[in-house]
Amino acid sequence: MVDVEAELKALFLRGLAGDAGAHRLFLAQVSRHLRAWYRGRLRHAPDDAEDLVQETLIALHTRRDAYDPSYPVTAWIYAIARYRLIDHWRRHKRRGPPVAIEDAPESADGMFTRAEDEASDAKRDVARLLARLPQKQRDAIRLVKLEGVSVRDAAAQTGLSESDVKVSAHRGLKSLMRMVAEEGA
Amino acid sequence: MKTDELISALARDPTPPPTRPASLRVAVATVLGLVIAAAFVAFGPGVREDILNSEGRMPAMMKAMFSAGFVAAAMPLLLRLARPGRPVGWRILAAGGFGALAALVAVVTLAGADPGQRMELWIDGMFPWCLITIPALAAPVAALLAFVLRDLAPTRLTQSGAALGAVSGGIGAMAYAMYCPIDSMVFVTVWYALAIAMCAAAGALLGSRLLRW
Repeated sequence: MVDVEAELKALFLRGLAGDAGAHRLFLAQVSRHLRAWYRGRLRHAPDDAEDLVQETLIALHTRRDAYDPSYPVTAWIYAIARYRLIDHWRRHKRRGPPVAIEDAPESADGMFTRAEDEASDAKRDVARLLARLPQKQRDAIRLVKLEGVSVRDAAAQTGLSESDVKVSAHRGLKSLMRMVAEEGA
Repeated sequence: MKTDELISALARDPTPPPTRPASLRVAVATVLGLVIAAAFVAFGPGVREDILNSEGRMPAMMKAMFSAGFVAAAMPLLLRLARPGRPVGWRILAAGGFGALAALVAVVTLAGADPGQRMELWIDGMFPWCLITIPALAAPVAALLAFVLRDLAPTRLTQSGAALGAVSGGIGAMAYAMYCPIDSMVFVTVWYALAIAMCAAAGALLGSRLLRW
């Protein structure tokens, strides 16, 4: 929890100072926590959960000047995520929240610990499988699929052509899916 | 749009220019609200005629100070709630405590008065118009504050609305004190406090609609 806070806060403050890469990484990391949290609260409406992830990311981005750096960034994210969820219920004319949403100073912990555990498990699995791919495919997947870099930027970074990046990412993903299927069998 | 694409688009968006501090924006809205409310009083019912001589100055001053107390008590809470993810701590106690204190003062002054005169002191022979005038004067202040607050992204709308109502009510009462012809201590503590409490309650009820963003 403390690590998540320190990491996110560092990224966010760098983003505020104009570092677009740090800001992108911040939003990407936060989106994972948000997704896990919203899905846990909207189990029967995964589409709504994803909409809320996006709405919250937009709110975090457009209201980033409203952040008070003397308080944890995780508490800030939690407050906005909680607000967007309540607003979602209000818009859909639901009377009360079907699940309780805590509003205690420590309630942000739930959003960040659990999601982080899940995320790091997944990260570990992916890293292990990626290591078995050829270098070219590994780089293409890491850049385009995991870090969300555009194909053009990925091509510039790796020195490959754009179509090569696309094909490598595609082939790599296919191999990964085969590996996952084999492991599952 | 996919979330990944959204993240890329947001990351490309340049850093916003540094905005003015939240407390400054709220303070400007509050002062502007006071000016507007005072203008309504001056051009409406008019300022009490004796406000400049010693007879009227003191009671008008006392009533304005009493009203300002509500503003001072609720303002820290409002500022705290204006931005997401910060604990309210002592600020809620300050606001609630001041409200309780005002109620206590009203009860004590009422109990201390001569039983035969209580009713007269309390309503002073007329309907307490401040119950209507103070919320009416508070409305433009509340609108200004809501406008500023929505930009700051409050996430606890009912609490924020209550704090906003109390601040606006206090400002409305400060302006009303320039006109208010009744100087009875009991009258002021009871009816001013009640009028401001009504503003806070209205703010709590309307908060989720007024402050949505």
